[in-house]
Parts: sequence; structure tokens; C-alpha cells
Amino acid sequence: MGEKEKRASNRKMPKHVAVILDGNRRWAEKRGLGTSEGHEAGARRLLENAKDCFAMGTNTISLFAFSTENWERPEDEVKCLMALFEKHFRAEMPFFQRDKIKILVIGNRAKIPESLRGLIEEVEEATKSYEGKNLIIAIDYSGRFDILQACKSLATKVKDGLIQVEDINEEAMEKELLTKCSEFPNPDLLIRTSGEQRISNFFLWQSAYTELYFPTVLWPDFGEAEYLEALTWYQQRQRRFGRRV
Amino acid sequence: MDSNQSMRLLSSWIGQIGDLGLNLLWRFIHIVVSLWYIVSGISEAIESYAISLGLNKKYSSIDLEKLRCLAVVVDIEAVQDVAKVVELLQWLTTIGVKQVGLFDSQGLLKKSKDLILETVPGSMLLEEIGKDFSPDGKRIALEFISSSDNKEAVMKAANILLQRYLKSSHPENDQGENFFTESHLNEALGVVGENVHVPDLLLVYGPIRSHLGFPAWRLRYTEIVHMGTLKYMRYGSLLKAIHKFTGVHQNYGT
Repeated sequence: MGEKEKRASNRKMPKHVAVILDGNRRWAEKRGLGTSEGHEAGARRLLENAKDCFAMGTNTISLFAFSTENWERPEDEVKCLMALFEKHFRAEMPFFQRDKIKILVIGNRAKIPESLRGLIEEVEEATKSYEGKNLIIAIDYSGRFDILQACKSLATKVKDGLIQVEDINEEAMEKELLTKCSEFPNPDLLIRTSGEQRISNFFLWQSAYTELYFPTVLWPDFGEAEYLEALTWYQQRQRRFGRRV
Repeated sequence: MDSNQSMRLLSSWIGQIGDLGLNLLWRFIHIVVSLWYIVSGISEAIESYAISLGLNKKYSSIDLEKLRCLAVVVDIEAVQDVAKVVELLQWLTTIGVKQVGLFDSQGLLKKSKDLILETVPGSMLLEEIGKDFSPDGKRIALEFISSSDNKEAVMKAANILLQRYLKSSHPENDQGENFFTESHLNEALGVVGENVHVPDLLLVYGPIRSHLGFPAWRLRYTEIVHMGTLKYMRYGSLLKAIHKFTGVHQNYGT
């Protein structure tokens, strides 16, 4: 990202950008490459775009890297994805520490390979003190799972006497969602690449007033210019959060 | 000293000119993008008009088998114009859509429910339809939804599950896996009156491009299409959006 883009963006910037990284397989297919190469290209793009977002002043970036439904993909592809996560978490640790980016991985960790789970814990521990830049990576995440685990968490607190039943309300619920880790839990802008116009079980609760942007470009091709276009589009929106103007 | 001061002054001027230049560049980018959207909007309007006139044979018949449930989100400003909502429903009936969920965050459409049901021919309340109902001809089942059916309903349903959990024989041994599943929450939502009809397609009418708090639990795999303002809605655009949906292939993450 050039200095000019960074310095020109004085207008309102989204504090929290969520991205559904769609299109890796189609990108690879168009180029006669294998699926794993598509995912590798997607992983590189992910980190480049994260750097651009933070440079533009975004506080939180959430990436839908692996959904609960993705476990149904061919075993080789799933193994490839898990190996990619491990590879890039290890490789990018110096970058996270240098740029003081807090890493948070949300989702159901029960099915994640143990080696990856351990690495995730290491990365989270190493970056937990950083403030101002949050990179949330959703692995084995689903919006319905998020709502259910929040309900379960509240139930456990009631059972343990930490809260009363009367204390359970929307605010209490939002404090239990997996996005509680961020100062800005509700995305301002949600980008889903590849032209599909769905949120596919991502941030169901959190996206009530999120601006939805569905560019047709495939994820590995979503670069600096495409992100600038998304930001320009976002800055032209008039957000009301359900209220009258 | 003087030369240092001069250098600092010069540097400050260069910085200010640079910032001004960057600001102008950013505004220029905005203008270019805005122009692109204006041109795109004009092109869509022309295409929509052509579709409405039946000039594009592709839209002359649409297979609605995939579209079991359509939802419409109406912006709070637009929802005052019930006549426009009625017109939209009449268009949907003409196209052959059988089930429509109408949402506005404040529940104003719920208050106009009787008027809408009286004015839209063949319309009936979804909740009054029996299980053996088979939509035929120009009939359309309507559901009226508001924000109270979203988070508030989930909280009420969660409370039902919580009560069951606390009343279970060994809550101290149970981490909740047997009480907090998707099917349990679906059932509890039904108890509190949230019917959980999952829309295949969601059309958003208004200046905003968000779903404005439409019941989150229902939106998992719903196609979301922004249609512009209700005031300037076009039959051709509606037909095009529905036609496009029928061609969408979902792999549901697999």
C-alpha cells in the first residue's frame, strides 16, 4: 500500500472489517493449478491484505478461514488447509510481533489437529498484550455455533451462581459471543469475494447492520486496488443502524 | 539556525502540499467510483425497463422450484409507503412466488398486516396455513417479521433451554451439550413463536446494503440481494434478481 493511499484516507474508515475468503479453488482451476496451490495463493493474499487494512487504520480484521461445513471437503484438501494454517502461523510470527498484531483464533477447536491447536495457543499467548490491531481468524467457526456456545456459557454462569437468570439479555449474550475478544465486535464492513452473495453462517448475530460488499473478483486476486474500491464504496454508504435519519 | 528554521518551514510546506495532494487524489478516486456506479445504475435501469416490456426472452418464464421462501427487508424510511409494499407483493404474486417473509426493524408492516392482507389478492397469513396447504394459482403466504423476532426471540428461546438445563437431574455433570444444540434452539424458537422459515433469497429495499437485523438464525445460506430504494423499485429488476437466484449453485461449504 503506497503512502498516498494511507495518507489520503482521512474519511471514515471501518473499524472492523470481516472477510469471507471465497474463490481459491476456482482461481486455481482457471489457471490449471491444483486446489492446494489455490489455497496457498489465498493464504498469501490474506496476509498482504491484513497489512493493507491495518495500514489504513482498521482496528480489527476478521477472516473466515475455515467453516464448520468445510470439514465435509475431501480429506486431502482439509489436511492441506490445516498444514497451510500451521505453516503460515509459524512463518508470520515475526511479522505479528514486529507490527504488534494481536492474533485471536475463534471457532470450535475440538477437531483441529493437536499440533495446530498448540501452535495457535502459542501465537495467541505471544501476542495477547498487543493493542490496537486485532487479527481474528475463524477456524471451524459457524454463526449458529457461536450463538449456541454463548447460550451454553450463560447457562454455565447461571448454574455456577455467577449471574442470575434475570441478567440474561442481548447485552449479556453479546459478551459471550466469540467476538467479545475485540473492542469492535460487530463488523462495519463484510466483504465476500467471488461474487457469491451470502454470508454462509459467518457472524450471523454480529452482522445486523454490517454493510455487505460482494465483489466478483476471486479471493487470491483481491489486492490493494480492490480493497481501495471496497473502502470507497463503504465511505459512500449512509449507515443508520436501523434508525430514521 | 536560520537555515534550520527555513528547512523546517520548507519541510512543513511540502508536507501540507503533499497532504492536500493526497486528499485531492482520494476525492478523485471517489468521483471515479461514483461515476462508475451512476453509469452502472443507468444501464441497469435500461435493462430493467427492457425486461419489464418482455423484450428479453430469458425472463419470460422462471422456474421457481428452488425458491421456496423469499424474504423482503424494507428500510424504515420506505416502510411508511404501504402502497409500494402492496405493489411489490402483487408483482411477486404475478411472478409466482408462493411464500414471502416481510421484514422491517420496527414492526410497522406487522401493524399494517390487515390492510396488506385485504389489498393483496390471494394473500394469507403463513401461520394460518395448514400443513397440507398446497399453494396454487395466484396465492401467496405472507409472514410479517420484525426485530423482536431476531435477537429478542433468540434470548427467549435461550431462556427456555436454560430452564430445561437447570431442571435436569445432573446439571453439574453436564456441560450443556445435550441441551444447547441447533435442533433444540429451533424447537425453542418455535415455542416462542419464531417460526424459523429459512429464506432462500432475501431482497433488501432501501439505501442500505445490510440485512438490518433480519432474524440472524435464519440467514445461514440465504442469498442476499440489494434492490435499491422501494420508491424506485422496478419490476424488471425484481424479475432479474429472482432469475439470477435460480441459476445460483451452492456447495454449502463442502
